[in-house]
Formats: sequence, C-alpha cells, structure tokens
Amino acid sequence: MIYTLLYGLSMGAILYFISVGLSLTFGTMRVINFAHTLTYTIGVYMLITFMAALQGSFLPAAVLAILAVIPVSYLMERFIIRRLYGESLDYTFIATFAITLIGVDTIKWIWGVNPYPLSDPLGSYLRVLDFTFPIYRIIIFLVAIALFVALELFFKKTIVGKIVVAALEDKDGVKCLGVKVDKYFSLMFILGSALAGLGGVLYAPISAVHPYMGLSVLLLAFAVVIVGGMGNPRGTFLSAFGLGMVMSITARYWSQGAETMVFIVMAIVLMFRPIDI
Amino acid sequence: MLAVKDLDVAYGYARVLHDVSFRLEQGHMAFVIGRNGAGKTTLLKTLIGLLRPRRGSVSYQGQEISGVPPEELYSRGMRYVGQEKRVFANLTVRENIEIPAYASREPLGQALARVTAIHPKLGSLLDQKAGQLSGGQRQILLVGRALVGDPKLLLIDEPTQGLAAVVIDEVARILRGLRGRVSALIVEQNLAVVRHLADRVYILSEGKIVREISDPSEIADTRGMEAYL
Amino acid sequence: MSRGRGPWVATLALLPPEAAIGAAFLLLIPLISLHRVTDFMIFCIFVLSFDLLYGYMGRLSFGHLLFLGTGAYSAGLFIKYASPNPLLGVLAGILGAGLLGVLLGPAAVRATGACFALMNLAFNHIGFFLVLSPLRAVTNGEDGFGIRARALWLFDPAGKTSMFLLVLGSLLLVFYLLRRLTASPFGILIRSIKEDETRVRFLGYNTHLFKWLTYVIAGTLAGLAGTLGALNYSFVNPNVMDVQGNVGVVFACLIGGAGSLYGALAGGVAYMLISNFLAIYIQRWEIFLGLSLLVIVFRFRRGLWGSVQSTLEYARRFEEVRRPVAGEGA
Repeated sequence: MIYTLLYGLSMGAILYFISVGLSLTFGTMRVINFAHTLTYTIGVYMLITFMAALQGSFLPAAVLAILAVIPVSYLMERFIIRRLYGESLDYTFIATFAITLIGVDTIKWIWGVNPYPLSDPLGSYLRVLDFTFPIYRIIIFLVAIALFVALELFFKKTIVGKIVVAALEDKDGVKCLGVKVDKYFSLMFILGSALAGLGGVLYAPISAVHPYMGLSVLLLAFAVVIVGGMGNPRGTFLSAFGLGMVMSITARYWSQGAETMVFIVMAIVLMFRPIDI
Repeated sequence: MLAVKDLDVAYGYARVLHDVSFRLEQGHMAFVIGRNGAGKTTLLKTLIGLLRPRRGSVSYQGQEISGVPPEELYSRGMRYVGQEKRVFANLTVRENIEIPAYASREPLGQALARVTAIHPKLGSLLDQKAGQLSGGQRQILLVGRALVGDPKLLLIDEPTQGLAAVVIDEVARILRGLRGRVSALIVEQNLAVVRHLADRVYILSEGKIVREISDPSEIADTRGMEAYL
Repeated sequence: MSRGRGPWVATLALLPPEAAIGAAFLLLIPLISLHRVTDFMIFCIFVLSFDLLYGYMGRLSFGHLLFLGTGAYSAGLFIKYASPNPLLGVLAGILGAGLLGVLLGPAAVRATGACFALMNLAFNHIGFFLVLSPLRAVTNGEDGFGIRARALWLFDPAGKTSMFLLVLGSLLLVFYLLRRLTASPFGILIRSIKEDETRVRFLGYNTHLFKWLTYVIAGTLAGLAGTLGALNYSFVNPNVMDVQGNVGVVFACLIGGAGSLYGALAGGVAYMLISNFLAIYIQRWEIFLGLSLLVIVFRFRRGLWGSVQSTLEYARRFEEVRRPVAGEGA
C-alpha cells in the first residue's frame, strides 16, 4: 500500500509539472494548447542526446535539455500561439494539434521511431523499516513540492507574478495601467513549456521513451487542468496529486484502467461543471 | 489636448457612435452626459484604445492615436477608469498601486504618497485585499491608481454611480482638487456633480453629440440637461 | 453562346446531385482501383456525419471515431455471435451507434467549444479502452476478430463489387438524406443554433432536444460508416476507435470546407488521397499534413469547396455584369 502511495505521489508530481504550464496558458491566453506536451517530448530526447554527449551524466544533461526546450517554445509562441489570441477554440485546437503533428514527425525524423531505454539515474534505494523505496521517485516528489512553493512565492511576491494574477482576473484593467500584458503572457507560456520539459526529463528514466509519449500524457494533462480549474495553479497542484493517486490506486486493482479512470473523473467533472469558453 | 473628429464606432453590425466630434482643451474638465445606451462608455473605451473605431480620428497632444493600444497610451499620460469599478480583488491595495508604479517606473513610495494624498484613509487600508473594500473606497482607489505616474488626461466612467451621498461628496472633492492640474473627460449622470465641476458639457444621445454647453451659467442651470437623461 | 448550351444545362439541372456524385466516384475507379474507392466512400460517409455536427451545428468533437468504432463492433459482434446475415449486421451496427448517441447525447450536448471536444475525446478514449481490455473476452482485445458474413441473394460481402455497390448506395442515400435534412426547417434550426443559440431558445425552441437529435444522427451515420468498414475488411480491431484517427476526419472536413456537404465529400476524398498516396512520395507526410492544417487555419478557412463556391460566385457575377439586358442573344 505504501508503494501505491509513493507511486501516486511521483505520478502526481509529473502530472503537476506538465499541467501547471497548460493551466497558465489557458488562463492567460485562453488558448487550448494541444501542443503543450511537445516540449515534454523534446525535453526527453534532448536529455538523451546530451547524456550521450556527456557520457551519461544525468544532472547536467537534464539542465541542458530543459534549457534547450526554451527556444523551441519561444518559436511556437511567437509564430503560432500569438496568432491564436481571441481565436475560436476550434481553430486553436486544430492549429496546435498541427504543431504536434509536425513536432512528432520531426522527432521521428531526427531520432527515429524506436523507443530508447533509460534507467533510473540514481539506482539507489532508501530503506525504511521493511520498505525499499527508489530514492529517485522521492526526489521527483520533493522537486514538485519545491516548484509549488516557488510558484506560490512567485505569484505572491514578485511584481511579474502579481501582474499575472491581476491580468488573469482583469486583463484590460492591467493594460490600462500601462503594462504590456501580452509580453508577460508570452513569458508564462515559455515558463510553462519549460516546466513540461522538466516533467519529461524527470519522468523519462522511469517510463517508456518514444515519439508519441507526449500525446499519451497530453490527455492526462488536460484532465488535470479541467479538474483543477483552468488558470488556477493551486487547483492544478491539488488535482495533479489527486489524479496521480487515482491512477496509482486504480493501477493496483485493475492494472490497465488507470488512465481511463482519470478520464472518467474528467468527464464527470465536465458534466457538472462545464468550463466556460 | 484631445481632438476627436467624425468618430464612428460599431459593435459587430450595430453602430454605436455616429460622427462624434469635439475638442478638449488642456486643463479642462469636460463631462459627457446622456441616457443609458447612448454610447458614453463606448466613447471612452474607444479613446483609451480598448475599441477600434470604424471611421474617424482621435488626436491626442497633436498625434493620431486611433488604434494605439491602451498600454502605450498610458505611457503618454492617458488614464482610464472604467464603469465596473473593478479593482484587482485578489491583490492588496498596496499591490494594486504597485502595478501602475512599476509600469510608469515611479518609486512605490511616491506612488503611494500620491494616492494617500487624495484620501488619507487609504493609507490605513494598504494591506487589505482590494476585494474587501467598499464601493466608495474602491472608486477612490481606482482614481488614485490612475494618478500614479504623472497623468495628463483622465477618462473616467461614472465615478459616482452607486455610491452613497457622503461618498459622492468625497469623490467630487477629489475631482475638484484635480481641476486645472490634469485634463479630464468624465461620464456622469449625477447633474449636481456636473454642475459644480464642468468646464464644458457634451450631451450624447443615441450615438451623436446633440448639444455642447460651454456657457458657465447654462451649466449651472441644469434644467437644460435634465431632459436628456 | 447560350443557344447551344441551353438544353444541356437544362438536362443536367434536372438530374439530382446524387447522380453526379455517383458518376464521379465511378470515374475514380480506373484511377485508383475499386477497393480503394470503396475505402474512400466509407470515409466520406464518416466525414459527412462529422460535418453535420461540426460544420452545421458548430460543435467540434475530438472523439467522433467512437461512433465509427461502435458501429463496427456492434455489427461485427452481431454477425459473429448472433447471425451472419449482413443486412441485419448493418442494422445492428447502426442501432448500436445510435443507442450510444442517445445515451451520451444529453450530457455531451450541454457542453460547447473545447469542453465538448474534450468530453468526446474522453468518451472516445474510454470506449477504446473498453474494447481493448475489460471486454476482451468478447472483442478479443488488441487482436480484434474476423467477420464472416454470409452472402445474401446477389450480395456477397466478400466480393469487392458487391461491397462497392453497397457502399456507393449507402453514400448516395446518406447524402440525399442529409441534403434534405439540412435544407429543411430542422437544418435551418441547427445552423441557427450554431450562429446564436440563445436567440433560438428565446424563440421558444428546445435547443437541447435538437442538439441531442443532431448528435444522435451524426453518431448513427458514423456508425453506418463503421459498419460498412467492418464488412469491407471482414475484420474489426480497436484501431477503428483509436483517438488519434480523429485528426483525419477533422482535417478532411476543414480542407473540404466545413458546413457544406459537397465540401465534406471533397475533403474526404482529398484526405484519403493524401494519406494513401502522399506517404509514397513524401516520406515525412505528417509534417506536410501539419503544415497544411496550419495553412488552412490561418489562410484558407473556406476549404476546397468554399473556394470553388467563391469562384463560381465571382464568375456568375462577372457574367451578370457583362451580359446586357435580358432579351439579347437569349
């Protein structure tokens, strides 16, 4: 049972990394970014490339991979997302899905279709009483907590954070006070994409790496954001861990049903609390 | 200071403003009155750049500004206070002022001093969440916020709407204090306020300016205006 | 100019559009082979069903494949376990999909926009999972199962020509039905709902009911496409419900021009051509697809059929301006 809990927490952490950016992008730009997890996938492949170049050292490769994701997300935002402001959601959906198509195929082109095996970079375990925990999963969870705290501080204490909080509520009001809101929203987009990349980098060693991995997680990310509330970072935190637990507990009794259970929860939430778009 | 010529604004297919033209002199405080739906809010929103006009020109300090976004107009000294009395509810009063201070690069202390100068009581409310303020306090905060960063033209939409008489007096006092120091175009339905503060009155009806009153004695005698409300 | 053309135009104008469509597909055979044209037509039925929901009613579903798959599985399971009669199988398929539409409809149509798209996506995903895992005993999970329907009189489901004719007939029937439906008051109502639902409600209509009905019709027609597909391939497996397949139908609808039945056909054929043949010439055809989608969204929303319509309109107006007052040269 303890293992189920740990698995749920580390799953929740990964979901949190991926979803918080999606939630922000939607809350700020009102754009449903179907290509959000592309940076997740790119992060992973960059990690593999850097690890190969750096002879297997995980941490520096991870950092480089996340940094490498930033220019990609900048390009995405600059050339496509920005043009989708105020666009009807059908078209943003389709345009961002198109980006995914292009991105995934490019990845296949560069790195090939075959899955890459990666292993737990620490390979060590923590022994408490009778239980053996992989330390790596614990670290993932701790990083998520750290991120949550960092984001809380960011939104509460920094001026940029406060601007985003204000703009989430009243964008015109912030504009009329002389702030170039769109610039800050772009920044949030890049931040969110980088966090998705972080999620990919951390999760890669304990999951399967293949070009379509982004798509499998994307739907889960949407579920997290819908359940937690669009544009609500705290809600995303809670629903990420909540759904992570749902997945973990479901997997214990019904091994393949984990993802489906998440969607059932999402469908139920949507039925009782339709999002206003 | 502000010259509007043949302004045409529409929402989709509905034309809201027709051929609106007027001038606002530097340092003047002009009021726009009219019935609900006459287009007063639309006028202000177009001037601040939240709406784009179909036709016509708006020139501010000699430069054409139609189509310029609000952020940019802010840096040129234009300020807008909307009708909905929206503050940033989740931020404190201090933080509400911090944002325009940041945008206009004014030191926070100076910005706070400006705001508390017009209404000292705000000084004690600085750490309260803006959403917890009363309607009157919010309106005063909004006006105070607009004064950050050396404004030159204020566009205010119905500042006394929904406020208690005592608060209206306070708002009117604040506005009187601004007279001559900044130019202002204010939408109002409260004729008593108009009477005491206006240098000029524009009457807007169904999207057109039907009368322009600049004679002080005519302004003082509000009977002429009542018919249009 | 006009005297020679008159009778020709008049005769052509009397023929129903279905005849032209049938002829067009027949003409495709020597170009692409019978089997492929059948495929194309099945997909076109699917696109038509999707266009009803998206183009006419304005609801983008990212899970419409669920109904296709339900139709396929309903038909397949019926033929396998109940009766190998292909006609009954088709009915079973249609009923299965329709029933699902009736069940999911009330919840689904209350949503709009992205909410609707994602809810259907979720349903699709759940459906895919159901046939993959819990119902594995019946559906044979990932491997799927073969369908052997027996021949009925002259109709032999194993025969290419029989299937071709069945599918062609179905397509023309569906097209005819949709043509009448969209031109009817019901169709106008649906389009009005897309435009401004609140106003339609204020006029006293129960929009919920109409949306539900449209959802059911769209689902049923998609189920028909699935059923025909199952018969055509004599095989069903979960891929028929794979969530990613939804891109194809969305793309087809857009490239043809949403909101037009002819557009749906044009788009369906275009997409099938692209996905079947482009991969041969361009290795990275998915990049091409993605780029095309972007071009469509940003520059080319009217789609193929929309452009055709605009050109015809332009030509017609040009012609009118050019032609002097009626009476001359008639």
